[in-house]
Amino acid sequence: MNKLFPTQEIGSLAKPRWRVKGHRGKHLSKEEIAEAVDWGRKLGIEDLDELIKLLSETDSPDRKRVMLEWSAKYAIRLFESAGLDVVFAGEQWRSEMYEHVIRKTTGFKFLGRVKSFDYRYFNKAACIDKPKYVGPFYLDEFLFTKKNTEKELKVPFTGPYTLVDWTFNDFYEKRLSGEFRNFKKRKLEAKREFLFDLIKEVIRPEISKLVDAGAKWIQIDEPAATTNSTDEEMELFVESFNGTVKGFNCTFSIHNCYSNYKVLAKHACKLRNCSQLALEFANRDSRQAGIGDPRTGYKEIKLFEDYGFRGNYGLGVIDVHTNSVEPPELVRDRILHVVKMIGDPSRIYVSTDCGLRTRTWEISFKKLKNMVLGAELARRTLK
Amino acid sequence: MKMIGCYLTGILPRTKELIEVTRAYDRGRVDEKELEKAFENATLKVIDTQLSTGFSYVTDGMLKWQDLFRPFTENLSGVKTGSLARWFNNNTFYRKPIIVGDIRRKKSIVEEVSYTKYPPKDFPWKAILPAPYTFVQLSENQFYTDKTELMFKYARILGEEIEGLARLGFKYVQLSDPALVYKPIATSMASDKLSLIGEALKVAVKGIPIKTCLQTFFGDFSKILPEALDFPVDHLGIDLYETNLEKLKEYSFEKGVALGLVNSRSSLVENKDELVTVAKEIMESIDSSKACEVFICPNCDLEFLPWERAEEKMKVISGAAKRLKKEFL
Repeated sequence: MNKLFPTQEIGSLAKPRWRVKGHRGKHLSKEEIAEAVDWGRKLGIEDLDELIKLLSETDSPDRKRVMLEWSAKYAIRLFESAGLDVVFAGEQWRSEMYEHVIRKTTGFKFLGRVKSFDYRYFNKAACIDKPKYVGPFYLDEFLFTKKNTEKELKVPFTGPYTLVDWTFNDFYEKRLSGEFRNFKKRKLEAKREFLFDLIKEVIRPEISKLVDAGAKWIQIDEPAATTNSTDEEMELFVESFNGTVKGFNCTFSIHNCYSNYKVLAKHACKLRNCSQLALEFANRDSRQAGIGDPRTGYKEIKLFEDYGFRGNYGLGVIDVHTNSVEPPELVRDRILHVVKMIGDPSRIYVSTDCGLRTRTWEISFKKLKNMVLGAELARRTLK
Repeated sequence: MKMIGCYLTGILPRTKELIEVTRAYDRGRVDEKELEKAFENATLKVIDTQLSTGFSYVTDGMLKWQDLFRPFTENLSGVKTGSLARWFNNNTFYRKPIIVGDIRRKKSIVEEVSYTKYPPKDFPWKAILPAPYTFVQLSENQFYTDKTELMFKYARILGEEIEGLARLGFKYVQLSDPALVYKPIATSMASDKLSLIGEALKVAVKGIPIKTCLQTFFGDFSKILPEALDFPVDHLGIDLYETNLEKLKEYSFEKGVALGLVNSRSSLVENKDELVTVAKEIMESIDSSKACEVFICPNCDLEFLPWERAEEKMKVISGAAKRLKKEFL
């Protein structure tokens, strides 16, 4: 992108109540419908009467599909209205980053909820057969988004390493049982087989469809990338990314957050065709204004530089886990601090730490607008 | 005669019913009373499973424990509950204990969170607590001069806690110490550091009239050998899915062992015959006196699995222990 400091959101936006209940075919209250109308007006959504009619019914044909389209349109408009340079559909099309892919692929069975923390759980699947591609899982969303914006597009794509890491590996572990008496070796070998079968059978066919349909930028989301931080696991991660993107005429980036960047930095320069690392830093940083000492959260950029990473940074300047809205001046200082560290401003894409899924639309909108203003302040300073 | 038994080594998964109630509670749809009732029902179920499957010791499943540290994090003075942090290499998180002042025990911690009214009085109970080294490594120390000071301070508190549990009727206490073997934390554990950890353990278990075990998991136990053989505990727990078995077999144990033969992080239910073969090989190699106590157990907390799968694995554990018992008679 020619513009200095392009701005982008990184992952999913919260799903409004009218989207969740509407998609399930549940009755919506007046307040919930009013929320859809208010945001619709604020974002300049066309044909709002159609949506109101749809939300007032509970069993209209194609309801599920149409609700996805409406909420995707809202998310695109929210990003555009905030002034972002790169947009997508806020993952409104997806149930959740993991389940969305697993449910649309064969070879998996959901076993039930396991604890994430406290009283929060996630629905975990087991791989029970060789994974097979049934049909596109991101293509419809991409085509809809493409039709509904003039802005630069990217496609967030849950990465294969994360899908494998978050899934029980029954099929491959069973296949190898008896082959090694060494449990540790067997586990790693089974993971490797699962990972590369998934890439070949499911991930690359979907990327191929997206690229054929005109996708120019795919962001591979790999939150699990440094969960297993041994060298052999990190090498497996690098190998999996390189194998995923090899040969496609498309730009790829990686998003990773709340991770061990000391480990990622060591291996980042081995990633091929990775134009950008979108990383979370604001969460680790102080809120004090200024360049230099206050910017404690960005020190690990130096590690990436020292290890030889020369791609772009999707620089997290907005903390997605707090309602406190960053002032544009703080955003500017975070950007300029990193410019000083790496010397080349063109390597910075101004970003949120992660998706704003846990924030309300109101807070998300304010944060994104200030991020855009902060990027503009940084541009002016450099001029 | 050789003693071979089986038991749990950590937090059990919540049952489907309990999960639904906790989620509803989280969303404000059920009250404390209903939540407590659900915990009681699930606790009765998991105790019953341990008894009917033939476990040697029984735990209450630790269903209320949000993480291994939480009862301590929330009840020790001088400790604040921090933000979420990843629990080793799992897609599971714990709240970091932040040490902001001199840590002190105001009351019995584990007793308050345990369902001691449910396990049968005439059956041996087991308690599971965080070991000093792991507690310190995964805490954020903002008060003491260094981590060693904190480790010994916590070890003294742990000692008081274990004494209290012994008085309550517990017969066995396990100290969980994953950080001791987890490679990214324990990259190179020098001999003098292990010796210091052994000293802290001594402070925690000195004079305790019940059996003690240091349970390691998520890492290679052979990396802390031979020093670990001198730790002042009765049994040493080993995660066989992370340990170099060939290295392990090079050592001779005079202590009992808890063999983590069932993988709590895999939903594949193990083949009992294979587990028995592996256990026999290890026992024959490391137990030169042929008199050590051996426990068959999961390699770590079974909470990484849905309850139904954990239940199946508990049956495999018990089955493997029974078979081994017969073979070593």
